[in-house]
Amino acid sequence: MDPETGKVRVDRMTAVDDFGNVINPMVVTGQVHGGLGQGIGQALVENTTYDENGQLLSASYMDYTMPRADDLPFYIVDHSKGNPCTHNPLGVKGCGEAGAIGSPPTVVNAVIDALQSGGKNVTHIDMPMTPHRVWSAMNNA
Amino acid sequence: MYAFDIERPSSVADAVAALGAEDAQALGGGQTLIPTLKQRLAAPSKLVSLGSVTEMQGVASEGGSIRIGGATNHATVAAQVGGTYPALADLAANIGDPAVRNRGTIGGSLANNDPAACYPAAALASGATIITNKRQIAADEYFQGMFTTALGEGEIITGVLFPVPEQASYQKFVQPASRFALVGVFVAKYSDGVRVAVTGASNEGVQRWSAAEEALSANFSADAVSGLNFPTDDLIADLHGSAEYRAHLVKVMTGRAVVAAS
Repeated sequence: MDPETGKVRVDRMTAVDDFGNVINPMVVTGQVHGGLGQGIGQALVENTTYDENGQLLSASYMDYTMPRADDLPFYIVDHSKGNPCTHNPLGVKGCGEAGAIGSPPTVVNAVIDALQSGGKNVTHIDMPMTPHRVWSAMNNA
Repeated sequence: MYAFDIERPSSVADAVAALGAEDAQALGGGQTLIPTLKQRLAAPSKLVSLGSVTEMQGVASEGGSIRIGGATNHATVAAQVGGTYPALADLAANIGDPAVRNRGTIGGSLANNDPAACYPAAALASGATIITNKRQIAADEYFQGMFTTALGEGEIITGVLFPVPEQASYQKFVQPASRFALVGVFVAKYSDGVRVAVTGASNEGVQRWSAAEEALSANFSADAVSGLNFPTDDLIADLHGSAEYRAHLVKVMTGRAVVAAS
C-alpha cells in the first residue's frame, strides 16, 4: 500500500480448494484464476455508481474500472487434496465461483490488516477500496 | 457514426485548403475524435487527415531545443527523444497503451487539450512554443481552459518546440479506469528557474503551480514543496477522487517529480 496515495497493490495470492475429483487440472486452475481476478476487481476497483438524478456515472470503461492484467498478481493455486464428492458418480465438485467467493473478503481483510499494522485504527472500508477511499480512511483514522 | 468525406492531403497548404470546407474537421491520430464520431457526438462533413503530411512528421534537435512535428505519434517521441529529453520520452511512453501510442499524435493531444491529457503538462512546464500554419504561440498563452486553446478556425499545429531543461520529470497518478492522469505533474528545471505544470486536477485544464515554482527555484528539493498546499478552488471532483484528494496528489506527485528529475 502506498501510504501517500492510498493505492493498493495485491502482491501475491494463494488459493486452496477442495474440488473433489479433478478431471482436467489445467482448466480448473484457470477457472480459479478467473474467479480470483473477479474478486480482486470487486474488492479494489469495480464500481457501478449513479448520481443523485439516477444518471449512471460509470457508463463506459473510461470510468468503470475493469480489472486488467497489471492489477492482478501471479497466483498460487492448489486443488490437489480433493475429497471425492459422495453425491455424484464422478466425485466432482463445482469450481466455477470458488475464486470469486473467497477473494473479496481476503483482499479487504488484507488492506485493513495493512492499515492497522501501520498504526491506523481502521476497521472497515466499503468496496471498492479505491485509492481515494483508502486515503480517506487513513486520514480519518 | 454519421457519413463523412475524408481527404488525405500531403502538405500543410493542402490541408489548410481542405479545412476551408464547411464543417470540415482536422483528424490527427483519431484517439478522441473517432470514438466521438462513433457515438454520434460530432458530425463533420469532412475529415482532413494530417497523417500523410510529411513535413509534420518526426523529431529534430534545434540548438538547445527539440522540435516535434505535429503529426508525430507518441511511440515515435518515446523512441527518439530519450537521449535529449528523457522526461518527455518517458511521458510519451506512458500515454495509453501501444495501440494508442502508435496512432495518437502530439498535435492532436495539444489541440484537444483534454484536462487529463499528459502532453499539455509537458508543453506548459517546458515553456514550449506551439507552431501553427499561421504563427507561433507560447504555451502560457496557448492553453485557455479545458478543451479550449488559442487555435483559430483552420489553424493546424504543425510542430512543437520544447526547450530542453537541465532536469525534468513527469509523475502521473492514473485514474484507474481510463488510465488518463487523475493527477499528473511535470517539473522542469531551467537555468532561469523551475516550471511546474499540473494536469488532471482542475476544471480549468492544465495549469502552472506558481507557489511550487517559486519554492523549487529557490531550493530544488522535495522538502521545498512539502509545506505547500495546492489550492482546491475549481478542482475536479468525481467518482475517482474529491478536490481535496486531487490537491493532495498534486503535492505528492510534485515531490516525486523533483526526486526523479534527471
